Amino acid sequence: MAERWQGEPWAKDIWCSGKTTRRRFLGLSAATAGALGATMLVPAPWREAFGQAKPYKIGIMQPLTGVAAAGGKTALVGSMMAVDRINKAGGVNGRPLEAVIADYESKPDVGRRKVEKLLVEDKVDVAEGGYLSNVCLACMPVFDEHRTVFMVGVCLDTTITTTKCSRYVFRPFDYAPAQAVAFAHYLVNKMGKKWHIAYLDYAWGQSTRDAYVEQIKKLGGEVVGGTGIPLGTADMTPFLSKVSGNFDGFFGIFFGANAVVLATQAYDLGLTRKYKFAGDGAIAESTHLPALGHKIEGFVGINRYVPVLDPPLNTPHHRKFFDEAVAALKKIDPSGPLPDRYVQSNFEAMNFLKLGMQRSGFRGRDDTMKLIEALEGMDVKESDDFPQGDKTLRKEDHQAFLREFIFEIKDNKHRLVEVIPKEKTVVPPACTFSKA
Amino acid sequence: MTRSAAGYWIGFAVVLALLVVAPLVLPEFWRRFVTEILIWGLLAMSLDLLIGYTGMVSFGHSAFFGLGMYGAAAALLTVRPPNLWLAILYGLVGAGAVAVFVAYFSTRLRDIYFAITTLVFSQIFYVIIFTWTEVTGGENGLGFSQPAFAIPGVVSARFTPVTLHWFVLAVVTVSYLGLRRITQSPFGMVLQSIRENEPRTRAIGYHVERYKIVAVMLSGLFAGLAGVLYALQNKFAAPDFVFFLVSGEVVVFNVMGGMGTLVGPVAGAAFFFLLRELFSRFFTEYYLIPVGIIFTLMVIFVPQGLLGFLRRRLNQ
Repeated sequence: MAERWQGEPWAKDIWCSGKTTRRRFLGLSAATAGALGATMLVPAPWREAFGQAKPYKIGIMQPLTGVAAAGGKTALVGSMMAVDRINKAGGVNGRPLEAVIADYESKPDVGRRKVEKLLVEDKVDVAEGGYLSNVCLACMPVFDEHRTVFMVGVCLDTTITTTKCSRYVFRPFDYAPAQAVAFAHYLVNKMGKKWHIAYLDYAWGQSTRDAYVEQIKKLGGEVVGGTGIPLGTADMTPFLSKVSGNFDGFFGIFFGANAVVLATQAYDLGLTRKYKFAGDGAIAESTHLPALGHKIEGFVGINRYVPVLDPPLNTPHHRKFFDEAVAALKKIDPSGPLPDRYVQSNFEAMNFLKLGMQRSGFRGRDDTMKLIEALEGMDVKESDDFPQGDKTLRKEDHQAFLREFIFEIKDNKHRLVEVIPKEKTVVPPACTFSKA
Repeated sequence: MTRSAAGYWIGFAVVLALLVVAPLVLPEFWRRFVTEILIWGLLAMSLDLLIGYTGMVSFGHSAFFGLGMYGAAAALLTVRPPNLWLAILYGLVGAGAVAVFVAYFSTRLRDIYFAITTLVFSQIFYVIIFTWTEVTGGENGLGFSQPAFAIPGVVSARFTPVTLHWFVLAVVTVSYLGLRRITQSPFGMVLQSIRENEPRTRAIGYHVERYKIVAVMLSGLFAGLAGVLYALQNKFAAPDFVFFLVSGEVVVFNVMGGMGTLVGPVAGAAFFFLLRELFSRFFTEYYLIPVGIIFTLMVIFVPQGLLGFLRRRLNQ
């Protein structure tokens, strides 16, 4: 069958009649190449008319180089997992998503320029990502100016949804005041009344410290001292050696490499054996555990996401997310780290956008106000889209409230101790949207 | 007027005219891009006064630039309604005060010791700004609104991207002409003499330290002015701009463009930004690799920078 075409008249005409000249062959080749090129370059309206839908452009900004590159790449995994999943399921409103990725080099000036490019040149319909709070805050006015929705993926600074809140910016995960409300009960009633807080001495550490001080005092506890340690301090011993006195617990507010240094040196100085050791969940992210070994044993922390498959996280939704995230992370890090809160929050941020676009019938940036209205006050249930659990995206400040997990490190693994329902993490809104 | 002087002024007028017309014909993104290049160009030009004309490599320019930004921020956040001229004044005072402080201590040293001292000072200011959250906003920096362009009794209008570009262009042009005048004055000649042979300059009776202090102060003032312009354009000030890596980038602009030319560093900034922007469109997170390779090749094959290379070719 395969060879019979050679007997066909058209084939004979070309190959066997002696009419195939070099000129004719080149002409045919050029025509084929032209047709292929034209197919590739065919204008968008024609593509649409012939059934291929115009994609939604989603701008994703992450620090893929510079000091925050490791975290930015992990965060990007979450965003891209969601984009791929949405596209495999047929896209949003029958249109696929096209991710336009921008690396802002961990610098606010570059971030601002990249966001300008995403909005002005690439003409993205919505944006997602962030990571570094200072870059998020620097870029927020640009989203306001271009009236485009920005779904924050990681940026944790409290002011993003309080004093500097914006009608165009949403944070679909927790923030320090909500975590403090959720954790303070456990700290004061189950661990001890008197606390010493060590924190990274810059905006995030200071605002998180203030939130915990307020909540611990409110519940009858006491914060007897505080130690601010500059970001990037390689040797924290001079600071930690001064921590002493009569208190029950040592509370740490650290993340990344700083967290590893703190936990290691606090253990070496005997602090975490003399006092109970608790803190922000970022101290004991799954990626830190191999480095910390037994030195982090007994640490109690709070986090919105813990990579365990124990109840209540033993749902098929979470298992699916967990397995896919492990596979995706292995592609960028062969050691195969477990997913962390950055993967989870970016994955869910993208799904919030999907849901908002579906519910508002969003067609493009002209429908931004419809999208905002659809997202404001949105309640979502635990599902494949939201494996972490139910969430409410509050209308008044665009801040999400979700359940929190209190965990303990045992045998170098996370073990869930208590789950705080989202209703018990709520703090009053402190945002007034600008009218402009 | 000599033939070469006429050629220079004709070239200057043509470039100026192109920059005036640029925001009217360029798309929105590139319009802002050119304005930003002018601002970074002014910062690079201010450093050229030290590197190119006095022979002092400074890594403290990020401090002057940043203090200019924070000075402007202070004026725009505390004075109601926000006033453009006060923002410039506060920025210049902030940068000038820091420049006096840095100059007093660092100009007693030479070569690598001077460079390290300026770097240390910029880091000191960075840490203060980064941790003094109540005043500076800490890591998050400060956001503020853009002031209107107002001359009392004459005009008051909000900036548009086009008018802001023209305002920045006017400031950069006047700064360039000012710096050019300084470098060609007897004072500038002494600076160049210090660059060529400091002991001999001292031996013929010049108080070298005083000249160096004034050079650092002037350079710091122009760097502060660039900081004010950046704050006006972007409506925020952040501690990242005070970090010494910014100074390092500005040194790169000087090397790429050509030291001791004033215009060269502006061309260097433009070239660097364009390279970074264009490569980032194709290589996402890997674009700094080709930029780095090009920079290395330029240092090897065009050590005198773009403008120095051009000048040599024209003279051939």
